[in-house]
Amino acid sequence: MLYRPESLDAALALMAEPGAVLLAGGTDVYPALRDGMPPDRMIDLTRVADLRGIALADGTWRIGGATTWTDIVKAELPPRLAGLQLAGREVGSIQIQNAGTVAGNICNASPAADGVPALMALDAAVEIAGPEGLRTLPLHTFLKGPRQTDLQPGEIVTALLIPDGPGRGAFLKLGARKYLVISIAMISAVVEIGAGKITNAAVAVGACSPVARRLTALEAQLTGATAADIPALCAKADLSDLSPITDVRASADYRGEAVPTLVARTVLTAMEAPHVA
Amino acid sequence: MSLSISLSINGAARDIVLDDVRVTLLDLLRERLALPGTKKGCDRGQCGACTVLVNGQRVNSCLTLAATLDGATVTTIEGLAQGDRLHPVQQAFLEHDGFQCGYCTPGQIMSAVGLIAEGHAGDDADRIREGMSGNLCRCSAYRGITEAVQDATRRMTAQAAEDAA
Amino acid sequence: MSVARPLPHDAAPLHVSGKARYVDDQPMPADTLHLAFGLSTIAKGRITAMDLARVRAAPGVVAVLTADDLPFANDVSPSAHDEPLLSDGTVHYLGQALFLVAATSHLAARKAARLGDITYEEETPILTIDQAMEAGSRFEDGPVIWSKGDAPAAIAKAARTLSGVLEMGGQEHFYLEGQAALALPAENGDVTVISSTQHPTEIQHKVAEAIGKPMHAVRVESRRMGGGFGGKESQGNALAVSCAVVALATGRPCKMRYDRDDDMTITGKRHDARIDYTVGFDDDGRIQGIEFVQMIRCGWSMDLSLPVADRAMLHADNAYLLPNARIESHRLKTNTQSATAYRGFGGPQGMIGMERVMDHIAHALQMDPVEVRKRNYYAPADTAVPDRTTPYGQEVEDFILHEMTDALLETSDYSARKQAVAEWNAQNRFVKKGIAFAPVKFGISFTLTHLNQAGALVHVYQDGSVQLNHGGTEMGQGLNQKVAQVAASRFGIAMDHVRITATDTGKVPNTSATAASSGSDLNGMAVKVACDTIRDRMAGYLAETHQADPATVVFADDTVTVGAATYSFAEAAALCYHGRVPLSSTGFYKTPKIEWDRVKGQGRPFYYFAYGAAVTEVAVDVLTGENRILRTDILHDAGTSLNPALDIGQVEGAYVQGAGWLTTEELVWDARGALRTHAPSTYKIPACSDRPPVFNVALWDAPNREDTIYRSKAVGEPPFMLGISAFLALGDAVASCGTDYPSLDAPATAERIWHAVRRVADV
Repeated sequence: MLYRPESLDAALALMAEPGAVLLAGGTDVYPALRDGMPPDRMIDLTRVADLRGIALADGTWRIGGATTWTDIVKAELPPRLAGLQLAGREVGSIQIQNAGTVAGNICNASPAADGVPALMALDAAVEIAGPEGLRTLPLHTFLKGPRQTDLQPGEIVTALLIPDGPGRGAFLKLGARKYLVISIAMISAVVEIGAGKITNAAVAVGACSPVARRLTALEAQLTGATAADIPALCAKADLSDLSPITDVRASADYRGEAVPTLVARTVLTAMEAPHVA
Repeated sequence: MSLSISLSINGAARDIVLDDVRVTLLDLLRERLALPGTKKGCDRGQCGACTVLVNGQRVNSCLTLAATLDGATVTTIEGLAQGDRLHPVQQAFLEHDGFQCGYCTPGQIMSAVGLIAEGHAGDDADRIREGMSGNLCRCSAYRGITEAVQDATRRMTAQAAEDAA
Repeated sequence: MSVARPLPHDAAPLHVSGKARYVDDQPMPADTLHLAFGLSTIAKGRITAMDLARVRAAPGVVAVLTADDLPFANDVSPSAHDEPLLSDGTVHYLGQALFLVAATSHLAARKAARLGDITYEEETPILTIDQAMEAGSRFEDGPVIWSKGDAPAAIAKAARTLSGVLEMGGQEHFYLEGQAALALPAENGDVTVISSTQHPTEIQHKVAEAIGKPMHAVRVESRRMGGGFGGKESQGNALAVSCAVVALATGRPCKMRYDRDDDMTITGKRHDARIDYTVGFDDDGRIQGIEFVQMIRCGWSMDLSLPVADRAMLHADNAYLLPNARIESHRLKTNTQSATAYRGFGGPQGMIGMERVMDHIAHALQMDPVEVRKRNYYAPADTAVPDRTTPYGQEVEDFILHEMTDALLETSDYSARKQAVAEWNAQNRFVKKGIAFAPVKFGISFTLTHLNQAGALVHVYQDGSVQLNHGGTEMGQGLNQKVAQVAASRFGIAMDHVRITATDTGKVPNTSATAASSGSDLNGMAVKVACDTIRDRMAGYLAETHQADPATVVFADDTVTVGAATYSFAEAAALCYHGRVPLSSTGFYKTPKIEWDRVKGQGRPFYYFAYGAAVTEVAVDVLTGENRILRTDILHDAGTSLNPALDIGQVEGAYVQGAGWLTTEELVWDARGALRTHAPSTYKIPACSDRPPVFNVALWDAPNREDTIYRSKAVGEPPFMLGISAFLALGDAVASCGTDYPSLDAPATAERIWHAVRRVADV
């Protein structure tokens, strides 16, 4: 049976019984379901009004869980969120962006999820509704491993919460082709600048570890750096938190070695200009 | 367990009973509604051959569960022409030879209709190529495809201006 | 006349309106069964137990067949009878069909097929070229060797020598329409098969063997394919045979199509290969002697691998006179998908070996690679030279690459751009550019001489409309349109009077595959013969009734003029009908001049050569290996083109596909022999944004010297190899990072380029 609740309460009530499959855009759900037994109950969240939309309140951007990537790409957002919008443009194809949702991307917890590095660099938190009410936790805590999250039975990701602020974001993806690729490696950065120097930096790397990682040591080193310093700083960055693997898309060597270059470029892009069309 | 949905497909209201919630829009169109113009290329949202419009937006029908479409408006390649008059995008694909084997063509055309409606690309070839990258063409008729989208965009813009005047 | 005009595909209005029907679009009766294979999960071994109880019990399942249930031949091989439809108890690759499920829906069959409980006695598979060479696992007794002169002696005497190795990957066809077939049982135990196939006669042949009937009991129809590229020359046999066998066993229509991941897991691909080379040359870059060792990975069954490997040998010279040559070819048997026909059919593998050598010589001598190539070209046609012989003994009589090269270098502004690339590279550390020229000389004809024949059937109806049928199949190349143009031209009528019907073994028998680029050469000629037979009969009758000379009857502009009288073509047809003139004829054509002894490697396997040349410029990000094609210029020889629009489409598409083979399209097998890249998420064909942003394609407008249909040339395969220029350009960009020769392997993925940069620059 498929349920299409129109309120969060109704959705949560449906979730009270175990065994339900949650569905928003469906772009990851259907391929996984196809060859198994039909689920007893599926819950389509796309009609829950509270789950869709982007709004700024009290210094926090709230992106509803069922907000599509197209919604994000089209939204008028500050330069700080430019990396998220650029990442959105590279989620699959536009057909996928029209259906796929931001919560779906994080709940699927693929190491190569396009949205995750950008959200991490923005210090995003995950808002979760459950039988006990609302709870919020940082995205990096929410993501526990490949295909593993902290989501408990009966819970629904209702929103991503992103602190507003100054600065500019950027996103870069290394792949076999220009578009429609699953990433070999991807980087998102957010930098704040004062007098030509970085005053604050956030850098996250995806597809090079089980869960995307922030490069905190490098972030600290970037503070005070000018554009000219970036390549050298990134070249000797401590990447020990990353654990790139060899798979059909690339070798661990290549992933590991390409990262410093991509990080430098992403940071420089963020320093130069917002680039969202 | 079955469930019923009502939706509009190519302008016609349809009531459909589904016996499995996993029936995709693609299978519904091809196997139940005798609308085989929408093609199955990869069945995993990676080739674009199954592109249709749902509520005016292009989606991969192979990844869209029919059960979620209660109340939706669906347009497929079969619903684009008005009688014998081809849609401007169809006409442009015809004139610019935007295909060889033709198998990806319905998806390319529906994707192009969606792209033009989105209004971001205009007639900029690079933006069109990006916007059409979700539709693979193994024959690589990409020149014709890009030119057809450019041409159709110009025609439709001119027509819209004329209609407005 | 209708020929030589840039008309769109005949099915264009159907394609844009979604009305063009492919096999899976055919409306089917409600009791149709859907088939799926249960596949092996190991690459090599013996089946010790096969428990299919769960398969049989699965919802919707009507029948489950194993090899023991097949009433007659259990074979779908196009060559050596070594390819059982269902496993005979041994497993030869991961993905081999073990049993066959028939169910009431496609999904039910697919799900049930995954429920087989198979116990294997597993053996160590032979997967790689190295493993096969070491184990001596091969087709034929030993390597095939063809020679001209004395290569080892010439190399020993040469002023300079070089050796190297080039590895190249295979290629998945990725026809957008997967393999599909359906079968309808008919009276008398006969069967009609509709198949997405390039080779209806082969399907007919294999189905007849499988149902234990003569070929007359089987009718095969192929309306169109959603792409073929060689992948539907033999790979559709299994589906068609399965459908026919189950249809006759159950009395119900049967349909089978592979899902994409099954299609990629089951079916053969382009042969991957390694080529070792040693070349001796003088200080001017002229080759004195050369030795190639071609190691071709053929997979588990023979399929078409022998002629593919032959064609690789036949193109080892590409466009260059080799005074002394030795070509050794190993056809290696491995526990992987049975590699099969793919656009170029071995030609690309052989040719890129030669182009690598040219590139390597130019690098060693620090000469312009174009200059090295020109110095080694065959002599221009109609000049007196002592030697214009290929390593296999054919005289190259029609060589036009000197003129074509000069023209392309001019229009592509090669010299100035080469200079600009050098300047760019001197000033930029991280983004390097590369530019490369590559020529193509491709032999046209099936190397199996008897295949070079074709038939046609043409009807003129009493209202003047024309229906025609020929043995070729339509897969997007526009063959039907070209052939219709020929017919319209012969009768002097407009195209809308001509209708081509689906390829049908009941109409034209004993056809060859639509392959080897031969479609319009062979079938165009057969249709011309049939049309001329009818036209001559019409002219004879009308001349007789008007007391005129038949030779003066003119068919043009939709009219027939005889003496002082002018009739519309329709009126003329009606007159002939009333005059009891037979208005239907078959036509037959066989290619002249060819003869070939493949054991000796001597003769004239090709009626003529098709030529082409390309210049590609690329940019490479040396820190990540990411790369883009910036500009491509092509000049291609289609003879007097039958249809310039279709031919330019073929040239562009083939180039992009060729460049894809050598850049992003990478097939990866794991150590167990499982193909890991079995979906478009991991196997990357070129997308819209990967096409060169500047792409200038022109046709070399000169008639074929041989008497082909309207002096045109075959165009399906030859331009595929123009993609080699993209690979060479990437190598050129990498070479600019240091002094060593990059020795880039294919596909030149971003990662391979990145490694090559590090080798060359030693960073």
